[in-house]
Amino acid sequence: MPRCSDPLPACGARPAAPPVWTRRRREALAGYAFVAPDLIGLLIFVGLPMVLALGVSLFSVDGFGGYTFVGLDNFRQMAADAQLWQSVKVTLTYVVTFVPIGFVVSLGLALLVRDHFPGVGLVRTMFFLPHVISLVVVGVVWQFLLVDKQGAVPALLRPVGLGEVSFLGNPALALGSLVVISIWFLMGYQMLILLGGLKDIPKEYEEAARVDGATAWQRFRHVIWPLLRPTSFFVLVNSTVGAVTGLQAFDLVYVLTKGGPAGSTSTVVFYIYQQAFTFNNYGYAAALTTAVVAFLVVATGLMFGATKGGRFDVG
Amino acid sequence: MSAFERVTRRSLLRGGAVVLGSAMAAPLLSACGGGGNGGGSKELTFWNFYGPNPQADAQSKWFTDLVAAWNANNEVKVKLHYLPVSEYLAGTALQTAFSAGQGPDIFLLSPGDFLRYYNGGVLTDLTPHLKPDQLADFDGGVLGTRKVDGKVYGLPMEQEPLAMYYSVDAFEQAKLSEGDLPKTWDQLLDVAAKLTTKDRFGLLFETIPGYYQNFTWYPFMWMAGGSAVPENGAPGFNAPAIHNALKLWQDAITTKVAPRKPQGDGAGNAPANLGSGFAAMQQSGIWSVSQMEQDKKDFKYGVFPLPVPDGGTYTTDIGGWAFVANAKGANPEAAATFIAWALAATDKDGVERGRQWNTVVKTNLPARKSVQEAAKAAGAFDKPALKVFLDQVVPGGRGEPRYTPEVYKAVSDAIQAAQLGGIAPAQAAADAAAKIDTFLKGYKGAAML
Repeated sequence: MPRCSDPLPACGARPAAPPVWTRRRREALAGYAFVAPDLIGLLIFVGLPMVLALGVSLFSVDGFGGYTFVGLDNFRQMAADAQLWQSVKVTLTYVVTFVPIGFVVSLGLALLVRDHFPGVGLVRTMFFLPHVISLVVVGVVWQFLLVDKQGAVPALLRPVGLGEVSFLGNPALALGSLVVISIWFLMGYQMLILLGGLKDIPKEYEEAARVDGATAWQRFRHVIWPLLRPTSFFVLVNSTVGAVTGLQAFDLVYVLTKGGPAGSTSTVVFYIYQQAFTFNNYGYAAALTTAVVAFLVVATGLMFGATKGGRFDVG
Repeated sequence: MSAFERVTRRSLLRGGAVVLGSAMAAPLLSACGGGGNGGGSKELTFWNFYGPNPQADAQSKWFTDLVAAWNANNEVKVKLHYLPVSEYLAGTALQTAFSAGQGPDIFLLSPGDFLRYYNGGVLTDLTPHLKPDQLADFDGGVLGTRKVDGKVYGLPMEQEPLAMYYSVDAFEQAKLSEGDLPKTWDQLLDVAAKLTTKDRFGLLFETIPGYYQNFTWYPFMWMAGGSAVPENGAPGFNAPAIHNALKLWQDAITTKVAPRKPQGDGAGNAPANLGSGFAAMQQSGIWSVSQMEQDKKDFKYGVFPLPVPDGGTYTTDIGGWAFVANAKGANPEAAATFIAWALAATDKDGVERGRQWNTVVKTNLPARKSVQEAAKAAGAFDKPALKVFLDQVVPGGRGEPRYTPEVYKAVSDAIQAAQLGGIAPAQAAADAAAKIDTFLKGYKGAAML
């Protein structure tokens, strides 16, 4: 006869097995479920193309279904490609102007509309509005505004003797014009992100500094700026990635200048597009894409390391 | 970490790896197997940038009527697939489709892109489907840019020569008359200077880099006696003729008689530039006659042949699109039969179809003699601008060259560098010539014309 201490059904006293659906597991499952849409999207639309690009970069592709394995030849070809390095130069110039100026402008706007004043909602909307327009439409509109002689901008500048300036047709000005248009397009979005960061900073900290006699600059320098570091880090990384590979580095160039005049706006992304779809060099284009992704991963890692990911509580 | 979480994550990664691996292998395996099946499909896809478009205009209707007439009498049906012109010319759809082995059975091709597709092995020889009288009906050398080793790989639907358009009012305001229409390059710049005002440029050449800009610059290269590749004993791209042609376009910019950036989508758009008063003279093609009729009906303009350099020979560039059949498509034989019927049929319907396309729904010079005759008989060339095209512009014209993308890019870079970059024409030409010469040493494709 079994003892009732034995774990047998007859006793009715068998210790319960650990439940399959513990709270922790349910939470984990819910977590996976929540990130699944984004994760699946990332895998299909970002991860998969990246892996495919890596695979294709090892082939010479004729654009008509012919693949020949060439190993790392496509990567070796980059070193001697003068046009690639010219487009790298264009892209870096674009990055080092667009990212910091765009950040400062966006931060300025965020500080401007941080506190409530009559019509603040309207002002925020006005700053954000350009971002909801398609970049292609943005390009077309600016093309009209900047067109030689008859554009609104040359007409406005005529009284100061600048009516004959060609903003999109002069190699010395075309990239700068793209930077200005990019900032105009993105400043509202970046302003919104920074505004969120600013709103998270407790007012008490600033009040305490004010009571201690800190000037506006000192309050910004020693209170707001350190506490805004995580948001600033995100904005800077985001705009750097956008400046190298983003739509404004392609769409605006495509609509406004087609890489011209004289190659002055031919960014790396535009150059990759040309290699793939003008010259059918899909293998080389894939290698370039892989190199750009690798560069961005390294650059982001370095930025992360240098700023501790923007964390203000780490020394 | 629970066992549940570990297993789930591993499974996820393992599953993901399988998906990625399969997806990566698919195009490669597909590529090994070649493109289409080359079988006897009963449906052919026809990619084009005319119809059926959302505006359902006359050009769209011509395409839909064409296909409807074919489908009514043939077992193998043709299905139109429309792409906006910007996507077709500079987008990714066509190239991506071919790269995936899924290119259309029939598509439109310009001479400037001919060699890319011919050398890629995707153009069907149409010659077996054309009778000698049909071949003979094509005007002059219009088939030349679509031929390799005597075989025809594309049938042109039109001829599109380039000329200069001018604003009558602008001439009158500058106290110029028809007798002042420039005949030489020097006169062209002089007249342009007289026509330039605070709000208007005297002259417009294309400044946007691309196939179209090259197409519009080639006449000046030829008139000066040059060629992008060594041809008929000519030395190739680094030659005084090339330097002079580049200098003309550079001078137009540096003297500020021409803009660095055209209005709208470029210098091929006469209503947006000439018609808006942005430029007083504009280089454009015969298609602008119908554009102006549609968008600037009351605008007074005239046409004259491209001016010639001192000692040069008048030449213009004659473009135009052709129907081609995908050799790796679902049914290349049927596709070729359709093309021969659509564009080379010598019966009454075939000639009328050509007349409608070339002189009713669009303004072109017909590619076929019989169509030209029918169009003349119907009074199509009575319009002054078209009469100038027929009588003065086309004689001495030359088919758009079919340089490879590598040559096109080198030439494009040289034009851009000299025209807008301020580089000395001789330097720009030398840089391009070095690239072209290096490319030609390893080139194994069909001859470039």
